Amino acid sequence: MYRQVVLMFMLLGFQAQAHEMTPAYPKFGYSHIQGVSVTKMLLWNRRDDTSYYQIGVFSGDWKEIPFASTSKLIKVKHTKKYPFEVYIRNSDLERVTYICTSSKSFKGEGRRTIITSKICSKVK
Amino acid sequence: MIKKITPLIFLLSTSYAWAVNSPITGTVQASCSIVTTTPGQYGVPNIWKLSTTPSEGGQPAVIKTTIGTADKYRVTITHPNSFSSSPSLSDTIAWTGSSVYTSGSASGMSAYNGAKVVVGNQTTFNMTLAGTTFFTVASTATYGYNRAFPSGSYTAQIVAECIAK
Repeated sequence: MYRQVVLMFMLLGFQAQAHEMTPAYPKFGYSHIQGVSVTKMLLWNRRDDTSYYQIGVFSGDWKEIPFASTSKLIKVKHTKKYPFEVYIRNSDLERVTYICTSSKSFKGEGRRTIITSKICSKVK
Repeated sequence: MIKKITPLIFLLSTSYAWAVNSPITGTVQASCSIVTTTPGQYGVPNIWKLSTTPSEGGQPAVIKTTIGTADKYRVTITHPNSFSSSPSLSDTIAWTGSSVYTSGSASGMSAYNGAKVVVGNQTTFNMTLAGTTFFTVASTATYGYNRAFPSGSYTAQIVAECIAK
């Protein structure tokens, strides 16, 4: 029983440091602006060591594609979910392949490594 | 009359409710989460060397990924080849490092190490199985020719990416 409780706390502890984004395969639809399409994403920040994430949109060969959102650098508190929309010009729709969020870390102290997490969904 | 009809209506309405079909529906989406289980720590075995190797006083970083659906993601881990913050350094630094699959929730995941693709300091794992996977990331920095690292804080960045296929 003791081992199970310890294991449960360990698993909960691990989960408290996660970065997650859905959907894996977003689809663009019409927006209220002519010539612009939109898709909805959801970021879930369970990392307690970071609160800032950067949104990026890329082509298949990882070239940046211009996009609009409420903010490209978003603040998401620990354990909170953050829904956001990504607006793309219809002329860029063919090139859009990846929508990514990557964590932004502070400089830090001591001798250590910091882990930047990046999750990319693929537009199909 | 009303006394007889009212219970009858209730009974009928109840039995009608039993007949209603109530399916439970749900959708499982492909998903990936990156869990920063253990941030790495550099030990200082020599004044010219910083290392995450435990025998040299360091702690390698441990990254956990959880993949919801098989064969939907690739995981790329980039070990450091520069400091993201450090005191001013006038000499060159030799970097080494590795990203290794250490354990997972499915027995077939042990094949990940054999199938991984290493390009420079980037290691890519094709996540063909659903479940939880642990990766260990090691890093070593050696300064100049046996020159002492200046005192101060040293931070290096590991990038863990989960990219939908």
